[in-house]
Amino acid sequence: MARVAVDDERAFTEVVRRFQGRVTNLISRVLNDRECADDLAQEVFVRVFVHRRNYRQGSKFSTWLFTIAANLAKNEIRRRVRRRNWFSLDALQELLHDSVAQLADPTEGSEATLEREQLREAIGRAIATVPEKYRMALVLRDIEGLPYEEIAQVLGIPGGTVRSRINRARGMLKRKLQPLLRKTGNP
Amino acid sequence: MSCGHARRLFGACWDDEITQAEREWLETHFAACPKCRTEYDQYSRALELLASLPRVEPAPDLVERALARSRRVASAPDRVAAPRLAWVPVTAAAALAALAFGMISPWIAQRAPALGPVARVESQAPAQPVLRTPASPERVSAPVAKRGDARTGDPLAAVSDSLFDHSADVEFILDPMTLQRGRPATLRPATAVQGQQATITF
Repeated sequence: MARVAVDDERAFTEVVRRFQGRVTNLISRVLNDRECADDLAQEVFVRVFVHRRNYRQGSKFSTWLFTIAANLAKNEIRRRVRRRNWFSLDALQELLHDSVAQLADPTEGSEATLEREQLREAIGRAIATVPEKYRMALVLRDIEGLPYEEIAQVLGIPGGTVRSRINRARGMLKRKLQPLLRKTGNP
Repeated sequence: MSCGHARRLFGACWDDEITQAEREWLETHFAACPKCRTEYDQYSRALELLASLPRVEPAPDLVERALARSRRVASAPDRVAAPRLAWVPVTAAAALAALAFGMISPWIAQRAPALGPVARVESQAPAQPVLRTPASPERVSAPVAKRGDARTGDPLAAVSDSLFDHSADVEFILDPMTLQRGRPATLRPATAVQGQQATITF
């Protein structure tokens, strides 16, 4: 990162290459929207470049990077909420998406593949319905595997609050996945 | 109570952050409470499903796009918007104007009596519309007479009684109000109580 700060383009490329997967995954899981995740991931790295001289060498780079990514994802969620209140396009898209999934031809793939895909979609939707402040902590902890202390730094909240948010988010997720858990628990 | 305590330990147990004593206590509780056992199984299954989600692969051209856009941003003169402070001078100007008005208004009030007959007439002008009734006919006709005087050259009447020109004013005369008492079916003009005619001038 020190080389990025002195406008070393190859160093910046290396940073993008190394962290693009984690950043895209984080945003994609928080938003449950693959296309938007790509655009936002790009924006994250542009911001890293723009603010490269603001990065303090002593701190962990991934924490700084995830802070930028989390803030952009939060902004996007809030923008969507405002837009949804104005005109429920997201709800319409979600409806269309569900319909497409229902109308998908099962002969296209094996039944197991389809079931797995549906399970993933259901989990993705369940995560997306957890309130934003809990969702971010949940994804950072249980998908990205960040330690509690780092999540506290990324979100700018005390460690105790992180733990309580994650506990609540897990409880919410369990309740949302309850029908699925019963189904998969009793084959 | 022990079930509540057990459920509070679920998170720490999943994160492997409980002591050996707590783990043993939880296992003992699970043996005695199948409901908590099932709850914990579902809790851990949900988190396993979450962890089993495949990694979302980044777009293949993300590196190139990020690099190209960063170059554009770097070549543009500071594309990151600086905090806009345009409201500061506007607010300061408004505050100064309010302060100046506050300081000048007492001085204007002091100067007002010394401005001459116009100001004196203004200060004597009635603030509220005057209700005049036929009971005092001389007062009803007074404003009209005054305007007549103004046209005939009375120096005081020639002065406008406010900042506005009242030469084209219209006097609103309220129709006689009829106060009716009793039921409508039994009303007769003879039993109605005649109200007074009122004239309001502005």
